[in-house]
Amino acid sequence: MPLYELGLVLTPDLEDQAREAFLGELKQLLAGHGASIVKEDVWGKRTLAYPIRHKREGYYLFWQFEGPGSAVAPLEYKLRLSDEVLRYLTLNLDRELRRARKMAAYRAAQQAAKAAAGAAAASEAQAPERETTGEVGEEG
Amino acid sequence: MSKKKFVSKRKKVCKFTAEGIDYIDYKDVELLKQFTPVSGKILPRRVSGTSPIYQRKLTRAIKRARIMALLPFVGE
Repeated sequence: MPLYELGLVLTPDLEDQAREAFLGELKQLLAGHGASIVKEDVWGKRTLAYPIRHKREGYYLFWQFEGPGSAVAPLEYKLRLSDEVLRYLTLNLDRELRRARKMAAYRAAQQAAKAAAGAAAASEAQAPERETTGEVGEEG
Repeated sequence: MSKKKFVSKRKKVCKFTAEGIDYIDYKDVELLKQFTPVSGKILPRRVSGTSPIYQRKLTRAIKRARIMALLPFVGE
């Protein structure tokens, strides 16, 4: 099941309780579709870059959840209909991070190869060391 | 005095290649702001020196940040 990231901007004038209730609803909806929240990142109130619905602030939060793709459509449908939501954005993080993971794996492999080469060079270094010192001695 | 002026050019480097940033997150506003002047436009590759691959990723990230009202569509 892919990993998704949901970004939410809620209205700032929502009471703490009302917000918790709304988020609870969303969590229930996600759980109902077989998705589980992996990570929560709450930024809280932040000034918007431009006013939305005459509001200058927004309550930002980000969730990462793992679940079937069929959970995304009903979630977005609910978000679209909710007055509490100013903006939302769902991303498939697996697709987003594909390259980053590939690059990380590539770098790790390269480092491992480098370390192996370094170790091989270190073990070989002892034998040819005499040759080089001998040459220097002849030249001098 | 000749009309042609030779300005010594500074070598431009791609920030993302140099620093090994593989994924440009739209939530990283401080990073994205470095590529948007006060006008809110996206800085061209010609100016910033970003490599083509990362310029495309950067563009996408900036546009996402705009949707989420993290960056302005139009600046001052």
